[in-house]
Amino acid sequence: MSTTEPPTYKPDIPSEPVTQTTENIHIELTPHALDSLAATRFVRSPSAGATVLFIGTTRDTFNDLPVSSLAYTSYAPLALSTLHNIATTLLAKHALTRIAIIHKLGECPIGEESIVIAVSAPHRQAAWRAGEEALEETKKRAEIWKLERFEGGDGVWRANRDGVMGVRVGEGEGAA
Amino acid sequence: MASPKAPAGHFSILYFASASTFTNKTSEYLSAPVEARGLFSKLEELYPGINDKVLNSCAVTVNLSYIEIDGDEAPDLKIVIKEGDEVAIIPPVSSG
Repeated sequence: MSTTEPPTYKPDIPSEPVTQTTENIHIELTPHALDSLAATRFVRSPSAGATVLFIGTTRDTFNDLPVSSLAYTSYAPLALSTLHNIATTLLAKHALTRIAIIHKLGECPIGEESIVIAVSAPHRQAAWRAGEEALEETKKRAEIWKLERFEGGDGVWRANRDGVMGVRVGEGEGAA
Repeated sequence: MASPKAPAGHFSILYFASASTFTNKTSEYLSAPVEARGLFSKLEELYPGINDKVLNSCAVTVNLSYIEIDGDEAPDLKIVIKEGDEVAIIPPVSSG
């Protein structure tokens, strides 16, 4: 049983961004660097007095263990539909003006943006709340997976659900 | 990911994250039709140990819709996975 990820492991990611955009909602999964300004521009509107922008960046440790690199993979068609569903629900619930959720796929260097959420609303309270809820719902439901590689070589699939270590890559090798 | 259409008499199955690591594949074709209740035992046959190590904590989709096949009373056990369907094994997610 190996404890290192197969050197051949390559996340199956689209080479171009996949998006689902309506007048009020922009959802994007992209292999490129995230553009938080573009997200802000999308949600900005004369009818919105408040814009909230959340930028999530990748940390260099998990439970004090040094993380050397990270990669995200996704079931893109399903993740797009799940994120669009989250956005639609929040738009109605908080009477938002617009919402954008953008997530990185593929290799994400430590310290760089992995998720950007921008929401706008007539007033600040709705925007704050919806921004937080959008992030929590995304982490709970979007069909996106993070592979953390630790210094020394171990790779681990994280699970948001329980905050535990997740599944060590290599556990199943030789089973097939 | 946008897997090509399965050959006649088969459905496609996609493996993500820990499921992909365990099977050493991101997708493959399995013979159809198969009842949803038989899916995990079919996978256990192909990949001994996958039930305990991976599938126990996974959800399943058929053509982008979640099906409920966990436990004897689950509502979707009788769903039939047909030729050309796209099934996916969805481990606990970790975006953000």
